[in-house]
Amino acid sequence: MKSIASRMLSAIPTLAACLALSVIDAPQALADTANPTEPEESDVAAITPPKPGWIFVNRGFVFPGTAIYDTGNGKMLGLVQTALLADMAIDPAGKFYYVAETIWSKGNRGTRQDMVTVYDSTNLKLQAEIPIPGRLLIGGRKQDFILSDDGKLGFVYNFSPASSVSVVDLEKRKFLRAIELPGCASLIPNPGAGFSALCADGSLATVTAGAAKPAITHSAPFFSATDDPIFDNLIYDKTKQQAVFLSYTGKIYTAKMAAAPTVSEPFSIQVAAGLRAGDTKPLDVNWYPGGGQPMALHRASGHLFVLMHPGEYWTHKAGGTEIWDVDLAAKKVVKRVPITDPATTIEVTQEAAPKLMYSGGEGGTVHVIDLKTWDETLKLDRAGSGVITVTDAR
Amino acid sequence: MKKFDADAMGETLLRRFAGGTSRRGILARLGAALVAAPVFPLLPVSRAEAAKPDRSGEGKTAFARVAQSKDNTKCDYWRYCAIDGSLCTCCGGGIHTCPPGAEPSPVSWVGTCVNPDDGKSYLIAYRDCCGKAYCMQCDCNNTDRETQLYVPQLNNDVIWCFGTSSMEYHCSTAVLVGPA
Repeated sequence: MKSIASRMLSAIPTLAACLALSVIDAPQALADTANPTEPEESDVAAITPPKPGWIFVNRGFVFPGTAIYDTGNGKMLGLVQTALLADMAIDPAGKFYYVAETIWSKGNRGTRQDMVTVYDSTNLKLQAEIPIPGRLLIGGRKQDFILSDDGKLGFVYNFSPASSVSVVDLEKRKFLRAIELPGCASLIPNPGAGFSALCADGSLATVTAGAAKPAITHSAPFFSATDDPIFDNLIYDKTKQQAVFLSYTGKIYTAKMAAAPTVSEPFSIQVAAGLRAGDTKPLDVNWYPGGGQPMALHRASGHLFVLMHPGEYWTHKAGGTEIWDVDLAAKKVVKRVPITDPATTIEVTQEAAPKLMYSGGEGGTVHVIDLKTWDETLKLDRAGSGVITVTDAR
Repeated sequence: MKKFDADAMGETLLRRFAGGTSRRGILARLGAALVAAPVFPLLPVSRAEAAKPDRSGEGKTAFARVAQSKDNTKCDYWRYCAIDGSLCTCCGGGIHTCPPGAEPSPVSWVGTCVNPDDGKSYLIAYRDCCGKAYCMQCDCNNTDRETQLYVPQLNNDVIWCFGTSSMEYHCSTAVLVGPA
C-alpha cells in the first residue's frame, strides 16, 4: 500500500504544474473582472500610506480592530489589527501605525504582555513589538498614547493603579523609561519639553521626558477637576503647538504648549452662541457638551466642532443632538446643526475641503458630512463605535 | 457649590478596606501603594474642596430625582448613580455579588448616591467582577459626579480589575460602603 507521504510526493509535480498554469493565467484572469471563470490564486491587496481623507474607526468595546475608510467613496480599505482597549497613533511621517495594546498568553488570562506594536503603513504587516511595563486598560481615550511632534518618541499612560508614563524610543524601537506622574493623566505632546498632562489639582503638569532625570513642573491651577472637569479627549494642534480643552459646563480653553505652558482665559460655548453660560447647579437646563470624543478641530481654519445636547449638569456622556461650529479665534458659535442620530464621537478630516464624521450607539454607524454644504454624503454602517482618528495636518 | 468630598470618600473606603482585609490577603499582595495611590495625590485638592454634600431637594441631580429603590436590575436604581457597564444583578450575580466564577476587584471607583427612601447620601463602591467575557446584559452608563482620568477613583470608564487573576471585565456591582 502506498504511504500517504509517497502519495503526497507523487502529487507534487501535478500541483506545481497547476500553480505554474495559474501564474501564467493571472493577467488574463485580472483583466476579466466582470465574471472571471479561469482558475485563480490567492493574493493580498496593497495599500498606500495614510491620506488626509481617510478615517480610522476603532470598532469599540466588543470588537477588536481599527477599520480604515476612505471618506471620499465610503470604501473600507483595510483594518489595523488592534486588540480590545488598544490605543492607536499614526506616525507623522505616515510610515507606520503604532498600537499600544495588551494581550495575555492564554486569551483572557496567563502572562500579561503590554507593548507598542508597529505596523508598516504600506501593507499593514507587523513590523515590531516594543515591550512596555504596562498601560491603562480603558479604551476610547486618545490621550493615553501620544507621539512627539517629530514622531521619534511615544508616551504611553500607565495606571497600575499608580499613574506613570512609559517613554518609548520609536526610532530604536525600545522602551526608554517610566516616569511617575502622580495625580495626572490626559497626555499632551509638548515640543518645548516632552509632554504635559492634566492634573487632579486643576493644574497642567509639564514633564521633560528627554532628560535622564525627568523634571515635572506644574502650572497654577486653572480648572476644577471634580466640579467642572476638562474632557480627557482634548485636542492638540501641532501646527500651532496649542491644545484645546473643553470642560463639562462648556468652557473652552486654549493652551500654548512650551516649557512653561500658558493657558488662556476660557470662554463659554453657550455665551458664544448667544445663550447663558453652562452651570453646575441641578435643575438648570441648558445646552451641554457630551460624549466620549466630544469635539473635533479643523486645524487650518480654526473651527471647533462640538457635540451638544440639552439637559442638566452631570450629563457629560449624553449623546449630542446638535453639532456646534465654533470659530475659535472669534469665540463665536457660527452654526448649530441638528443631527438625528445622537452622537458620542466626532472627528473632522484635515483636508482643505474637510469632512465631518460623527457616530454613536452600539450600531457603530459613522455619518460623513461634507462641510461645504453640511450635507450627509455617506453613512458607514457597522463601521465602529470607538474613537475616530484622522491623519494630522502636515 | 461643592457637592462632595473626595478626600473623605477615599478615607472611608480605605478604612473599610483595611478593616476587612487580612495581612496575607489581597492588600499584602497588591501593596498598600497600589490601593492608596489614586487617593494620596489628591489629598491637597480634596482638603481645599472639603465640604458636606448638598442633600437638599434642589441639590439632587436629574438622576437622583427619579431614582428608585425597588428594582436593582434597572439603571435607575439609586445606587447606580455613577455606574458604567453591565449590571451584575442581570448576569447571575447580585448588587454586591459577582456571578459564579467571576472575581471581584478589590479596588474600585466610587460614587455618592442619594437613597430615595431616607433622602441621605451614601458612598457606593462600584466593584467590577472580572475574569469572564463582557456580560452585555443591562448596560447602564450613569454619570453623577463622574470625572476624568486625572481623578481616576471617580472615573467609570477604567477597567477596574486590578489585583484579580484576570483583567477581563465581566460586570459591575454597587457595594454600599456607608453614609457619605
